[in-house]
Amino acid sequence: MVTMTQHDTESPATGSDVLVVQDLVRNFGELRAVDGVSFRIAPGETYGVLGPNGAGKTTSISMIAGLLRPDSGSVHVAGQLMGPRQVGPKALLGLVPQELAIYPELSAAENLRFFGRLQGLGGAELRSRTDEVLDIIGLSDRAKSATKEFSGGMKRRLNIGIGLLHRPALLILDEPTVGVDPQSRNSILESVEALATEGMSVLYTTHYMEEAERLCDRIAIVDSGRIQAEGTRTELIRIVGELDEIRLDGSGDIAAAAGALERLPAVEHVLTEARTLRLTVREAPTAVAGIVNAAGQAGMELADVEISRPDLESVFLHLTGKALRD
Amino acid sequence: MRNLLAISATELRRFIRDRSNIFFVFFMPLLLVVVLGLQFGGGGSESRVAVSGAGGRLRQALAAELDELSVAVGATGDEAMRDQVARGRAAAGVYIPNDAAAAFAAGDPTQVELIVGTQGGSQLITQQVTTALQAVSLESAQRAALTGQGIPPDEAERALAAAEQDVGPVHVTIESVSELDEEFSGLGQFDLGAASQLLLFVFLISLAGSVTLIQSRQYGVQRRIVAAPVSPRQALAGQALGRWVIAVFQGSYIMAATALIFDVDWGNLWLSLLVLMVFGAVAAGGAMLIGSLMDSDNAASGVGVGVGLVLAALGGCMLPLELFPDTLRTIANVTPHAWAYEAYAEIQRHGGGLTDILPQLAAMAAVLLALGAWALRRSVARAM
Repeated sequence: MVTMTQHDTESPATGSDVLVVQDLVRNFGELRAVDGVSFRIAPGETYGVLGPNGAGKTTSISMIAGLLRPDSGSVHVAGQLMGPRQVGPKALLGLVPQELAIYPELSAAENLRFFGRLQGLGGAELRSRTDEVLDIIGLSDRAKSATKEFSGGMKRRLNIGIGLLHRPALLILDEPTVGVDPQSRNSILESVEALATEGMSVLYTTHYMEEAERLCDRIAIVDSGRIQAEGTRTELIRIVGELDEIRLDGSGDIAAAAGALERLPAVEHVLTEARTLRLTVREAPTAVAGIVNAAGQAGMELADVEISRPDLESVFLHLTGKALRD
Repeated sequence: MRNLLAISATELRRFIRDRSNIFFVFFMPLLLVVVLGLQFGGGGSESRVAVSGAGGRLRQALAAELDELSVAVGATGDEAMRDQVARGRAAAGVYIPNDAAAAFAAGDPTQVELIVGTQGGSQLITQQVTTALQAVSLESAQRAALTGQGIPPDEAERALAAAEQDVGPVHVTIESVSELDEEFSGLGQFDLGAASQLLLFVFLISLAGSVTLIQSRQYGVQRRIVAAPVSPRQALAGQALGRWVIAVFQGSYIMAATALIFDVDWGNLWLSLLVLMVFGAVAAGGAMLIGSLMDSDNAASGVGVGVGLVLAALGGCMLPLELFPDTLRTIANVTPHAWAYEAYAEIQRHGGGLTDILPQLAAMAAVLLALGAWALRRSVARAM
């Protein structure tokens, strides 16, 4: 039994919410990329959208940012209807796209000033804000260097800085840590945490469970263009209930073992990943002996067994039958 | 407007940052103007006469008379004179033997040698040299007649000068029936090459600049611009304005540099600039079109250069339109280059005014509107 925590989105935007997304649908030919997505973000909230590649995250972001017209549904930013030709609500958003969106021939400061001007900044305000953002993203000492000379992590930080420049009401970060080294990744996450602490509303999409758990007040788990569940981390894990996860590593006939384990009453889901079986199980401490026994009988030679409490990965597995990185 | 200026200024900045553009914008056009000037201009050889042989009064008097007929005179040795005529660097040569110079000084019958080339204007130059020699002979005869009557040479000179002032000379305007001679008359050595190279490079650099439009999409910057409080049309108009500024900048540079370095006469400067601005807009529209049709910046660069060169060749930027066969001349009118070429010809060669170049401007504007509407619609679709 899956419990879904959905906020009421029947009513149009209210003045209190920074973002109201209502029944968004977008098709590409036969493919329904986004299928009735609805959620709200309150002021100062960090909202995560967690899902694997191809789940519809970026398409949803494109519609929220006014880059793509939805086939149906609506987006309101601070009460204003968003669309490709709606200039007003766009000024309230700071978009940090998944791909780097900077001019490599220009310096960090020139990139910031250019996008700042498009956001309506100018004169002394633009200069001071550029300096502030360069400081926030740790690029003050490279302000005049052409960005084509930057490392991947530095480019990522500049990519985020451009989104922050005009102090948007809602910062949208679309998988900002993809392809980033661990050190830069941590720096980016710390920056987002700092912004959230200062009260900025953030919409953060990712397929990394740890990032969603670390940063987000509420999380929507998406797959196949739909929100499968939404809530705080605690609320989402409650969906799995008393289910635990058991990890079996080994060799031999893994497929036969997976088939045998699926038939056990205590086992809810079995996921095969190379030489590892991940099981969602009720009352793991009492069920583990029978599971080990059944795997062995099916031809699997066990090297390691690990029992863990559920996390968002377990929730995703429980809801979709798939791993997040699938 | 603020957004337009921000986007176009950034396009200009990116263009300037690319150092390879410096060669193509600043050096290459002038180099080709020089080459074409040497090929087609030839320093006005159709009105240049080389004089060799003995010095003295005959030579001085002949040079003075030719100068009055607006014929350039060069002094040289006998062999060099014949070589210049043979190579077309001078339309004709006059050889003055020593005995001819002496006979002229003595007032005796004098015979000089005239060597004529095979160029189109050789008949004309023969006539001009003959006229000059007749004038020299007449003046010499008049001077001899006066001194023969006992008038001192100084007084005779003054009397001849006074007579020249008092009796209005008969001016003969010589017209060539050759259409080509007529068309290119009055052009300086580099005038033709400067106008055609301006058109070639303005269009070529603009089309090659379509690469930056594709890169903006590839970098994701285009999406980011449209995600800002900027409409898709504003974003594209800003990029088009950037391309236009680059085109006009390049054209203005060619105009200024050729005027200062090669003394090119652009006729009415404001009209020449107007033609440049309209042609630059057509070139910017072409760049937007290629930028919206293609996905690969390398392919767009190749197509831009290829299309730019073919249109330039067809539009009279490599070989003057006047030398085209009639059919090709008609076909050339599908290119904006041909229209702009004719507008410049009207301004530079015939002192044409705004009304004279309106048909050309209208043709280019029509191309621009068609191109712009198509390119804009497609570009907006691709920008999102």
